[in-house]
Amino acid sequence: MKSIILGMLILNLLINTGCAFIRGNYGEELGQGDIATIQKGISTRADVAAVLGAPDRIIEASGREIFHYFHYDVKSGSVFIFSRTNIKSDDIFVIFNEAGVVEELVSGKRKGPLEFQFWPFDWPFH
Amino acid sequence: MMLRNRFICLILALTLTSLTGCSQGPVTWRRVTLNQTISTEDVIFIVPGKTDISAVVERLGAPNDILSSKNEIVTRYYFTDGKYFKANYGWGFRFLIPVFAPDLDLGGGGIGRDVFQVTYDDHWLVRDHAFAFHSRSSEFLAWPFRD
Repeated sequence: MKSIILGMLILNLLINTGCAFIRGNYGEELGQGDIATIQKGISTRADVAAVLGAPDRIIEASGREIFHYFHYDVKSGSVFIFSRTNIKSDDIFVIFNEAGVVEELVSGKRKGPLEFQFWPFDWPFH
Repeated sequence: MMLRNRFICLILALTLTSLTGCSQGPVTWRRVTLNQTISTEDVIFIVPGKTDISAVVERLGAPNDILSSKNEIVTRYYFTDGKYFKANYGWGFRFLIPVFAPDLDLGGGGIGRDVFQVTYDDHWLVRDHAFAFHSRSSEFLAWPFRD
């Protein structure tokens, strides 16, 4: 009988103390190999579109056309009553001059890796 | 034996009545962040008129947005922080009234966004840069009725 009671108590604890770790993303991650083929002063709009595909967004800035590609990565953790979701964006901007040739390529990873976390507070770690 | 049965029944009742399903327990803390903070120490290498966009991107990564402003180009880095707290003050009723246990959720939160902005001239040299700190406006709120 004691083992039944103990088993039910453990079952109770297991059922009511759930945890979850979930991962998701938005958009396709662009490989650094693809980006390396784009050359400043040489590659055209068509070359860029052939390598990276159609941009997610086209921006007009100071007479320049800019192709914007983005990718989001999400990691979410829930333990007991705590939950934290971390999202990281990776953006690539290809800036064309008036002739439609690549003038500048803005690409680089943001600092730090994306982590699974469940603790929602800054303390006691900061 | 009678006492043991009652004890088992009590555990069963506790188990069944405290199943949370899609909702969380009596209290919940949630936080959502988009990207990581850029501090003033991270940008001390930037010298207006000398540092170019390649150097900035190499150290800070690509910006989140590029905007046009007259004859200059503005790049922006965002850090968004959202916090949410909820307490269900009716949660304990399920042990007293298993058939109907009303929820009484009180709580709240907020979202704040830090922005680091860099402005470039036509030669892609940094013209100026600035911070806007708002992420501290996000907080866990236990009492939603305050002014």
